[in-house]
Amino acid sequence: MKFRKADPLMRDLRRVLPSDRVRVAPLERSIMGRDASIFEGGRAGPVCFPISTEEVQGCVDAARRHGRAVVPRGAGTGLAGGAVPLEEPVVVVATKMNRLLSVDADQRVAWVQPGMINLDLSRALAPYGLHFAPDPSSQQVCSLGGNVGTNAGGPHCLALGVTSAHVLAAEVVLMSGESVVLGDADGWTPGLDLRGAYVGSEGMLGITTAIAVRLTRNPPAVETLLLAFDSVDAAAQTVSAVIADGIVPAAIEMMDKNIIWAVENFVGAGFPTDAAAVVIVEVDGLPGGVAAEADRVAELAVEREGSVRRATDDEERALIWKGRKSAFGAIAQIKPNYYLHDTVVPRTRLAEVMNQVYEIVDEHDLQVMNVFHAGDGNLHPLLLYDAREPGIMERVHAAGSAIIEASLAVGGVLSGEHGIGIEKRDFMPLMFGEADLDAQARLRRAFDPEEMANPGKVLPTGASCAEVNALGKVPEGVWG
Amino acid sequence: MTAKTSLGIGPEEMASRSALGIDTEELASCVSCGLCLPHCPTFRVTGEEWASPRGRISAMRQVQDHGMAVDESFLASMDSCVQCRGCEPACPSGVPFGSMMEATQAELARRRRVDWRRWGFRVLGHRWLLNQLSRSLAVVQRLRLVPSKRLGLPKIPLVQERLRATGNDVWLFTGCVMDAWQRSTHASAKRVVEAAGAGVALPGPGAACCGALSLHAGLEDHAHALAARTMKALEGSVPILVDSAGCGAVLKEYGKHLGTPEAVAFSERVMDVHEWLAAQADQLPSVGERGQDVTVAIHDPCHLRHVQRAHQSVADVLSRYATVVTLDDEGLCCGAGGAYAAMQPELAASIRDRKLEAINRSGADIVASANPGCTIHLANAGVDVRHPLEIVDEAIDYDG
Repeated sequence: MKFRKADPLMRDLRRVLPSDRVRVAPLERSIMGRDASIFEGGRAGPVCFPISTEEVQGCVDAARRHGRAVVPRGAGTGLAGGAVPLEEPVVVVATKMNRLLSVDADQRVAWVQPGMINLDLSRALAPYGLHFAPDPSSQQVCSLGGNVGTNAGGPHCLALGVTSAHVLAAEVVLMSGESVVLGDADGWTPGLDLRGAYVGSEGMLGITTAIAVRLTRNPPAVETLLLAFDSVDAAAQTVSAVIADGIVPAAIEMMDKNIIWAVENFVGAGFPTDAAAVVIVEVDGLPGGVAAEADRVAELAVEREGSVRRATDDEERALIWKGRKSAFGAIAQIKPNYYLHDTVVPRTRLAEVMNQVYEIVDEHDLQVMNVFHAGDGNLHPLLLYDAREPGIMERVHAAGSAIIEASLAVGGVLSGEHGIGIEKRDFMPLMFGEADLDAQARLRRAFDPEEMANPGKVLPTGASCAEVNALGKVPEGVWG
Repeated sequence: MTAKTSLGIGPEEMASRSALGIDTEELASCVSCGLCLPHCPTFRVTGEEWASPRGRISAMRQVQDHGMAVDESFLASMDSCVQCRGCEPACPSGVPFGSMMEATQAELARRRRVDWRRWGFRVLGHRWLLNQLSRSLAVVQRLRLVPSKRLGLPKIPLVQERLRATGNDVWLFTGCVMDAWQRSTHASAKRVVEAAGAGVALPGPGAACCGALSLHAGLEDHAHALAARTMKALEGSVPILVDSAGCGAVLKEYGKHLGTPEAVAFSERVMDVHEWLAAQADQLPSVGERGQDVTVAIHDPCHLRHVQRAHQSVADVLSRYATVVTLDDEGLCCGAGGAYAAMQPELAASIRDRKLEAINRSGADIVASANPGCTIHLANAGVDVRHPLEIVDEAIDYDG
């Protein structure tokens, strides 16, 4: 569809925003058609860049008057297609709403705008000795609005909990155009926990325009250990042993052989490229406790024939984390595309499920890399492929389905932190019964009766299946 | 904020659906993770995807792989790129963004009908002509007949000191605009290199320009012709020292661009002057009375940090003569970008504003930048900015 100046929707949007912040060039709309997921071919309608709550309300009002859906977007780093626009909706981009509104260091609360970059917030808080705990691997670019949308996790969420545990309140523009505050920055609200329902709702309940985040004090001492093992089993057993020993590290991350090579090639942090798996363990707290816990973790690793390296300074620690956090982006050194899963399995079944993943991938003649939050059993198998190879997508999707089924079979769940989006929407019935799905749909309609906020995501309605299939990367049948 | 596309191309050329000539493997090598976004100066100031490396690659794919016509928004996306290449070290997959952007600009240059750069940059290869024009410009400036700041020009000296060769241990590459407008920087660099014990040879008019500006504007043929002349003028086997980060980056990439064994061998001889000095640390002279009492913030030129990846050597050398502080913006571009500040004044100024904030936060007295474009661009915003070797030259106790 071409947008002309006389288009009534455009006319209304340009009443709300100056014309250089409502963009309709075909190229820009196609660029906005994708995020960091595998879905290509989504297509945005008018792309709006509001800078205030009032402007977001104006965009929503205009879209509603013209029966157009609204899709919110932050930095576009989502991995499940949550920000991919279907059916040319109005796309509301938060990147220009990127200010830190206020900091209360005593109460450890800050109000931020949704387009603020996760790491920029923690950098701005450094003078107070505080930070925002959830640290997704994409934290140097992902936005806080997106973190709220997906209830994002990150390596350091093992001990401290994911985004929902760090969001006290959210100012939200509902599809009626009304602006409401869900939750309370003081930390206590009577009645329904609407804030809890909102965090992780993937843009289907409204558009976030401000967030009250809980701030975490920087730990006085930190120790980071890099453990290397000759087998994935030994690595997985060590992870279980650490937790069983009563230690709750700040983070436990695992990477297998192929990804270690790609990451080391980029950062040069001295990751052992001959190891079958490495485990990064970080313990923090008071100096005495940290030293004792680090010693105990090292013992448990050595008992399982692991080798141990301790980061000697902040620089070495930062390099190890840089390696871990660039893993997904490093894939193109091997193949130009990847399909990433995000299932969570009970920690005690980690080794078993990982071995199944390797078998599934072999069966489908594919390559896999694993880099994941081992401490909470959150797997991230990356299936590598070159989309230009004929017939490859069928194999990738078949292997993906088998991995999901294997994870659910041991009592796991579909997604740990990336969200459902388009990617896992039609796997939802594998995990939820009809009554569960109906309850979720009714919650959504309580906020958005017309289903105009980010339609076609998360809940398998069948309404947009044709279009999802038309995105070109999804074979017939996968979406049911 | 919008990008300028004054160098538009005709409707027929726009509609032409031929590919951009980007290497297919290079174009396929981006997984769209977005980790480059915060390291891109134009994304940082606009927050808009078309002004980010990922968005630009996506746009290149639309044209090259999916047959979308080149239009105004495509030109805006490409021409708004500073070509700082800050996205390259940020990319875990090593996507060669600079190479793709150079290929795209070369194709666009072929399609553009009128491009003053095609003629304007030719002057750079003619040292005598450039010096004459610069002298005239200096006079006109004194008569206040040109809006220098608006055009992004520095105050051009009326009289330049004459540099004389002192030996054959190293070449000092002098280049075009820098030699015509900032020769005193070369004089400082030369004194410091000599103080470290080397005799300095100076190239003849054949090495009048490295070709960087032409290359970034997509004028490949002109850039390659300048490269061939420069290589001929700097023959031999001794190191070629460069005190301009932008020139050094291109000289180091002659091997890649020309692909000949001679060009590869030539590029291997090229060193940023600070790299060479840092390797002679024990030869460096001691600090005079004027050294150390000044706090200097180092602004890393993009082509020293992201392309040559040799920025650490500036701190290594300078910290012997002054108290050095680093800026906290992870080497984000200042917006100068060769001719960029003149082509995209609005974006260049917004990018510079971020840099000015970082400079203010550092609390430094002066700023050091090893690239002429950055010094001119920052000085036009009122910053006291000098080449690192000017600061070193002033601090050295030559009699001690």
